[in-house]
Amino acid sequence: MAPKIEYYCPCLSESPHPPPPNRPSSSYSFHPLHNLFFCEECDAVRCNRCVSVEVSGYYCPNCLFEVPSASVRAEKNRCARNCFLCPNCRNTLTVVPSDPPEDVDSRMSPIVSTTLGEPPFFLYCNHCRWDSAEVGITFEKPTGLAAQLQKFEDSAPEALEFERLKEHFEPFLRASSSSSALPSASSHHVHTNPITAAASSALARDIPGVGKYNPLSRSRVGREKGAHRQEYPDYKSRVEVGTALSGEADVEFLRHLETVSQVAALEQRWTNSWVSPLSASDLKPLRIPLQSKKSKRCPSCRHILIKPEQKAQSVRFKIKLVAANYLPAIAVTLPHAQAAIEMLKRTSKTTSAAAQAEEQQAAGALIAGHSYSFHLAFTNPLYDPIQVRLAKAIAPAQTAEGDEAAERARRSTFQIQLPSAAFPVGAFAEAWEYDDEDEAMFLDDDGMEVVEARGKKGKDGRGKTRSVGIVEKRANVTIVSGEVLIPKEARGDVKFNMLVSYTYRSDDPEPSEEAQTGTPSRSHGANKGPEMKNFSFYTVVDLGSIMYREEPKLTADL
Amino acid sequence: MDLPIYYTRAEYIETDTGNKVSRRATISGPQNIILGGKTVIASGAIIRGDLRRTGPGHAVVISLGRYCLIGEGCVMRPPYKTYRGNFNYYPMKIGDHVHIGANSIVEAATIGNHVEIGKNCIIGKFTIIKDCARIADNTVIPPNTVVPALALFAGSPARFIEDLPESTPEMVEAQTKQYYTRFQPLPAER
Ligand SMILES: [Zn+2]
Ligand SMILES: [Zn+2]
Ligand SMILES: [Zn+2]
Ligand SMILES: [Zn+2]
Repeated sequence: MAPKIEYYCPCLSESPHPPPPNRPSSSYSFHPLHNLFFCEECDAVRCNRCVSVEVSGYYCPNCLFEVPSASVRAEKNRCARNCFLCPNCRNTLTVVPSDPPEDVDSRMSPIVSTTLGEPPFFLYCNHCRWDSAEVGITFEKPTGLAAQLQKFEDSAPEALEFERLKEHFEPFLRASSSSSALPSASSHHVHTNPITAAASSALARDIPGVGKYNPLSRSRVGREKGAHRQEYPDYKSRVEVGTALSGEADVEFLRHLETVSQVAALEQRWTNSWVSPLSASDLKPLRIPLQSKKSKRCPSCRHILIKPEQKAQSVRFKIKLVAANYLPAIAVTLPHAQAAIEMLKRTSKTTSAAAQAEEQQAAGALIAGHSYSFHLAFTNPLYDPIQVRLAKAIAPAQTAEGDEAAERARRSTFQIQLPSAAFPVGAFAEAWEYDDEDEAMFLDDDGMEVVEARGKKGKDGRGKTRSVGIVEKRANVTIVSGEVLIPKEARGDVKFNMLVSYTYRSDDPEPSEEAQTGTPSRSHGANKGPEMKNFSFYTVVDLGSIMYREEPKLTADL
Repeated sequence: MDLPIYYTRAEYIETDTGNKVSRRATISGPQNIILGGKTVIASGAIIRGDLRRTGPGHAVVISLGRYCLIGEGCVMRPPYKTYRGNFNYYPMKIGDHVHIGANSIVEAATIGNHVEIGKNCIIGKFTIIKDCARIADNTVIPPNTVVPALALFAGSPARFIEDLPESTPEMVEAQTKQYYTRFQPLPAER
């Protein structure tokens, strides 16, 4: 596996510092840079877990029709045109006419025009060959099929029961939505629409110890307990649970089973818009569920981070504040692995792709008892140069020194060396993006400025002697090298948290002191002049797993 | 940082607009095929520009935009159907920054910009893939499927898996440009 780096969003933890990287849960706090957002107001990174999401428009993923919000409710969040899913395999169904009497085989061909042909029409799956005539669903006209199907759906006893339930809870929902607007809660109620509020207060009431859901302040669990203690009358069901499926018939059905696939799989049943039959042969076509375009807001200041354009299939955004436009992009590579891969590519031309991948993996292995250098390439997205400083986040295990156990732990954990001095990364200029510049940029590599790292490869095994510092600097990219020393006893992954701080020139000299909330964040660099600001963020660097072999397989092979 | 992808100069023909076409690729009916520029057709790919609509004159059968990659062993074949009793092929239009992984078979009607298709995929007849969508490796998309913008599809038959990040256009654009830059003749021959 190639080495990788991910960026930290502190929303899941109370502390601004990331969890130790070897804890499985830590992976939930780290994200690829391009999945993160940036709130200018709070001067902070936001992720998909913490932003609040609002629907800005609905569309059908098949016919791409943009459905007005007004009709979404009436149409039960599903496409009301001619879009259906195969209940068997989830492929999109095609409307096909019946066979003309003389041509028996044309039905098997998926390529049938939908506007021609004889009634009755039915829905056909050109992937698994399911058709709706099997379950007795045919249509006289090939249009308005969804409306005809929805009539069945809406008149099903379960659907009617759900409507009555909704009516029953309506007053409670209204009451709780007005009370959740009370100032007792934090001024912005993140993620909370009336339904969530009602559900969470109902849960809080029924299950002791479960607090109201509030993504930003988990510590406030239980504060509002009892605030919504409000009685409402019991609901009397008009559908008897269990009568819809008579046990006798089920037993009879199971007794005559020949293959397991005759029973509808869980997945085929639970997204059904009506009562789901036990028998696979009774499954009905599904109207396609709508999808939505989403706006995203900062969870703490409510500023919009993502606002899509109205048109459903547009990939442009009116507002798009992504972290990649603010933080430097970092790419990690292992030079010894790359050199080996290049060797392999030139020497072994004939091997299969799978064998090649295996060879490459072996070549990039980190073997216990050796030290390796790794490269971090920083790409600056800002129009001004930045100064970057790196620090390894201290692992808590290293605090108790002198103790024998700690000493042993220290001997079996890998050591990381990062450049200690700050280094510059050039400003981003549009010119680097020009197509014609591309080639020129790459040719530069041959004459690249190698400051220290070259010519010391022989000292791999001894470690220490190898340099840590700037390897290359061009355009808005600076590559620095670090070093990892893996003791013989070391096991597991070479994975560590790295704090990246950078200073940049701020365009607005406006003071932002109120934005400091204890998180590592941008602040005025006091000794750097009034216009320089500092921003820090945590990352996790994963160089790969440690191998125990003494001799690398590569040398044996070559 | 990112390693070059070397090819032997003798294998590839480079056009004025920077397209690089392997001599080991099969390009049928080249007069019906448009390449936008800086597009790579890898070895073993088959592009069926010869499967054209019946009728006089010449017609564009397959058009590819800029910075595309047709991977090794891919088959690009225009879709066909019988309409009002007439069998016909229909053109295939592919946008800019589209990468198609090795050994995939494509019979789509349209593929938008910034689309990534994995290895060993089958893209069925008349499929429409909108901008910035991604198709995972080994996916089978049945005929007439529509893949919406910024969606990841996978499986057989393909299904929606998740929304892709908002920064997908920039990422894919950078990747495809970088791929083209990395794709260069072996240095020994330079
Ligand atoms: Zn977050
Ligand atoms: Zn639809
Ligand atoms: Zn099916
Ligand atoms: Zn904010």
